[in-house]
Amino acid sequence: MNILIAITAVGVLAMLSEILNFRRFLYPISLFVMLVALALTGMEWSHGVRYFNDMLYMDNYAVVFTGIMVVTTLLWFMMNENFLNGNPRQADFTAIISFALGGAMVMAGFSDLIMLFLGVEILSISMYVLAASNKSEPRSNEAGFKYFLMGAFASGFLLFGIALVYGATGSFNLREISEFVSENNTDMSAIFYGGVLMIAAGLAFKVAAAPFHFWAPDVYEGSPTPFTAFMSTVVKTAAFAAFLRLFSTCFSEVSTWWSPVLAIMSALSMLVGSIMALRQTSLKRLLAWSGVANAGYMLMAVVSLNEYSDTALVLYAAAYSIASIGIFTLVSNMTNAGNEEISSLHGFSKVNRFPALVITVLMFSIAGIPPLAGFFGKYAIFAGALKDGFVWLAVVAVLSSAISVFYYLKVVVAMFQPAGREAVQLEFNPGQSLVLGLVLVLVVVLGLVPALITTLI
Amino acid sequence: MTGSILDTIHINNYLILASFLFSVGVMGVLFRRNAIIVFMCIELMLNAVNLLLVAFSTMHSDPGGQVMVFFIMAVAAAEVAVGLAILVMIYRNIGNTDINFLDKLKG
Amino acid sequence: MEQFIWLIPALPLLGFLINGIGNKSVPRGMSGLVASITVLGGFILSVVLFLQLLSDPNLVIQQKLFTWMATSTMEVDFGFMVDRLSVIMLLVITGVGFLIHVYSMGYMHEEPDYARYFAYLNLFVFFMLILVLGSGYLMMFVGWEGVGLCSYLLIGFWFKNNDYNAAASKAFIMNRIGDLGFLLGMFLMLQTFGSLSYDKVISGASTMSVGTPVLTAIALLLFVGAMGKSAQLPLYTWLPDAMAGPTPVSALIHAATMVTAGIYMVVRSNVIYVLAPFASEIVLIVGILTALLAAFVGLKQTDIKKVLAYSTVSQLGLMFVALGLGAYKTALFHVVTHAFFKALLFLCSGSVIHAMGGEQDMRKMGGLKKALPITHLTFLIGTLAITGIPPFAGFFSKDEIMASAFATNGWIFALVCFCALLTAIYMFRLYFLTFHGEFRGSQHQQEHLHESPASMTTPLIVLAILSTIGGFIGMPEIMHAPHLLSRFLKPVTAMAESYTSLHVTHTFEYILLVSSVSILAIVIWFSHRKYAVQKHVPAAPQELSGFQWVLHNKFFVDEFYDAIIVRPLRMVSSLGYRWIEQGFIDGIVNGFGTVATSLSAALRYLQSGAIGFYMIAMVISFIVVFFIQMFL
Repeated sequence: MNILIAITAVGVLAMLSEILNFRRFLYPISLFVMLVALALTGMEWSHGVRYFNDMLYMDNYAVVFTGIMVVTTLLWFMMNENFLNGNPRQADFTAIISFALGGAMVMAGFSDLIMLFLGVEILSISMYVLAASNKSEPRSNEAGFKYFLMGAFASGFLLFGIALVYGATGSFNLREISEFVSENNTDMSAIFYGGVLMIAAGLAFKVAAAPFHFWAPDVYEGSPTPFTAFMSTVVKTAAFAAFLRLFSTCFSEVSTWWSPVLAIMSALSMLVGSIMALRQTSLKRLLAWSGVANAGYMLMAVVSLNEYSDTALVLYAAAYSIASIGIFTLVSNMTNAGNEEISSLHGFSKVNRFPALVITVLMFSIAGIPPLAGFFGKYAIFAGALKDGFVWLAVVAVLSSAISVFYYLKVVVAMFQPAGREAVQLEFNPGQSLVLGLVLVLVVVLGLVPALITTLI
Repeated sequence: MTGSILDTIHINNYLILASFLFSVGVMGVLFRRNAIIVFMCIELMLNAVNLLLVAFSTMHSDPGGQVMVFFIMAVAAAEVAVGLAILVMIYRNIGNTDINFLDKLKG
Repeated sequence: MEQFIWLIPALPLLGFLINGIGNKSVPRGMSGLVASITVLGGFILSVVLFLQLLSDPNLVIQQKLFTWMATSTMEVDFGFMVDRLSVIMLLVITGVGFLIHVYSMGYMHEEPDYARYFAYLNLFVFFMLILVLGSGYLMMFVGWEGVGLCSYLLIGFWFKNNDYNAAASKAFIMNRIGDLGFLLGMFLMLQTFGSLSYDKVISGASTMSVGTPVLTAIALLLFVGAMGKSAQLPLYTWLPDAMAGPTPVSALIHAATMVTAGIYMVVRSNVIYVLAPFASEIVLIVGILTALLAAFVGLKQTDIKKVLAYSTVSQLGLMFVALGLGAYKTALFHVVTHAFFKALLFLCSGSVIHAMGGEQDMRKMGGLKKALPITHLTFLIGTLAITGIPPFAGFFSKDEIMASAFATNGWIFALVCFCALLTAIYMFRLYFLTFHGEFRGSQHQQEHLHESPASMTTPLIVLAILSTIGGFIGMPEIMHAPHLLSRFLKPVTAMAESYTSLHVTHTFEYILLVSSVSILAIVIWFSHRKYAVQKHVPAAPQELSGFQWVLHNKFFVDEFYDAIIVRPLRMVSSLGYRWIEQGFIDGIVNGFGTVATSLSAALRYLQSGAIGFYMIAMVISFIVVFFIQMFL
């Protein structure tokens, strides 16, 4: 609860800073408040308080996901020092990012479908604005418009699904719905099943799972790079937190009914994402497609619903967010230099030894090479799918990670090649170097001791 | 209090009407090319949901559904505000509101 | 004290960090001092811990550091456990380790890469402490691998010499084979007991009945690990080659501590071995064969360090004999005494080599007694200790092994006695060839003969004292003194002792005492006559014939391995490279790539950029799913 206040306070302060003219203090203030929010998140741990008349339930699941998202946002602020400081729209960006984080937090902790809807919308509307924020750039306009139009469309599906579930069960509250479902799970009305399917479609859009993924690559590519970084980390984590929370609490009784659908979506996402990523030459778009593939892996945790799904998803989401934010520090520097092509990285490792090392480790982690954090995330998720009998899905997943090694290593190889004509000079400011150092430590430590995060739930 | 309105008009009728409205909205989104009309069709989808929620709220005699309707209206307003702003920006840049003109990002 | 346990391994780690990161910028005097002091700190803490455990017989300190992995079927923690067994190992590691660090400061004086040497040595101590402090097999494995790594680094310390690098690789590979067994054993334990911590595994195992197949399998797999680390047949050949490292390293790692890790592991798992009689028999047979084979080979070696290396292999074999017999405390007793006298012998040989300017061939030595009085005297004590002459340390522990063997099986007893006899023969051969007779080296060497500096001789003296009195912690019954070590270790092996009883009559012990001393006296007399009086010098290798030639060439085991394993493997790998790798796998991988690329070219058309198409695709796929789910 206090977390939500702290996070939105940054937003309000940001807007006030324009009026009261203290914009130059805004950046340190936002860093500080993020740290405060992190501390407040820690204080919520293991209390399990229900807020707002049981609309928001800060159980350990919600706390850990909130923690991951707050840390990611903090890293996001750190990596974007140059982008934010001195930017005439710094206040707007800071405010909108804070509100988006608030929405993300609500998505992790909702215990009522109304809150789910509000969280999704707060996050999404903020992201529409940010995606289109580069007003003079047609690509940014297009990204924002595509995101907005398809997002609103998907929200319609989500809402219709919520309405149907409400009609069938008579409540928006997760506890009451799950009680109702477990009491009548043999004779639920057809509108309930229709509702579950529509909610699944709406959330699948938000997590960018195939075949609802079409927006993602275009939007990721067109948006200003800092916001792409935010989308592929915080937004994705929040959407999955909501997805798993809803399906594991409310709909687990009827999982035999929906899990084949999600399994197919998951397999499609992995294959489409990996195969399309193979042919990309722009690093930003490659990451967008790899985001689709990773949505497939994370969806596996929802498909193979068992008592370890949540730990597996937390581990994966943490590893993915951390690695992505690190890689996006590189991408944002490439954007500043005006070239997002992978081939422009030739000779990178000669000039920037430490960033090259960190990016290599991150790529290894995200490709699932032990003993880094990404490996344990993948391992936990694959093991869950196998345990639940989805052998074919695990096979597809392994196949797709094999493909993924190709394109992740493509980036690594490019960094270590001798410089060509295309090579550009990239400079990492101290904040970005610090981010790289932190993510390196996190990826290695989480790889050695995954229990650090999995035992928190 | 006499019986609920649902005794006279059965809930299924509301369900069918809402589904029909929703489908009209979806069709509009899919087949109209002018962005403004697409927006309106999305609003239509949301209104179908509102109708459904109100009907269900009466059926369960639970005010929650009506509360949800207010939230949806508020959010829809915010959404349209953002959408129209983006649209204005696009119109300034490319002088067109046809959604199929936006296909620079692909592959 | 309990909250300071972590300091024991942390101190050497600190030393490693200082010397490792500082490397060349640390002043020379500093790096050796830092390294030694950190180990000394560990020793002092261990003594405090020891005193604490001494006062409370049931005290076992458990400390959980963190959970590494927890799933439905298993839970793996990292943590420390200190009980009476580990505290003995702690004392040996830090105590002997400290002496060897001090010795190294003198021995490595000329070495340009001084800091790197001490960094490795400290890292080794750190991992060794982790190995014995761990509360479960996983932590033991971490230490196990760590000491293997340090051993590799230190054997190849002079990495400019290619032979040394080959020796290092050999040690590493042989150990990896053993580690595979250990790893499989851990998997099996995890599956059987759902945990890798000692208390859970032991309590789980103790509920099983004797001869349960899974226990036998675990015991055998763990023993494969021990074979690698403790240099038993057939994985022992790396240890003699490991003498390529600096001599203090040979003393610390390849004699006193690391190679006894296998013994520690078996003692730690004694409940499993007691319940797996078949595995114990295998341990016994492997032990006795190794002991004999290595002792035979030791007879004809001329390199001073090689003789000691084979003697180490042989003594380790004897320890495994004790383990196989179920005499776990005896094995540990021999570990302790062996640590004293073998470290002493190696350090003495280092002192000799130092004096001889790097010469290691005994045929070029002789008569060093006058030039190196302290080394000579301490070496003599070490020799007396290892051959088992009362009252030196080796006598008591070896006597116990013999007694246990006699109580079990007459043949084993005979073989152990024979092995002890061989030990005496090659050790006195070594002693007389080196220190008696006339100097056979070059003029130049003779002029430069000198006793080593105090930093080297002090550890020698301390170790010599320990080798003299160290055996008194385990007096046999006939001496009417308490067997302190046995009493101390009682809680550790209480369970195992209910299964085996290894008691011999007092009369037998007297006979054993008298006969072993008289046989040893004869050996000494013969060796003295042959090498000191008649001044016999071993022939050059090419002049050897028959069995001697076979012995000198170490039974051709290396050549045998080369012929049956290394060469066929090379052949298979080159064939595999050509056919399977280049033809088959590359074909598949390339084909895979081609398919993926063409698929992506097709999928590209779906990602057309047109928003209308995207939404239609979404809705169509939704409708398809909807109809399949709702109506089929």
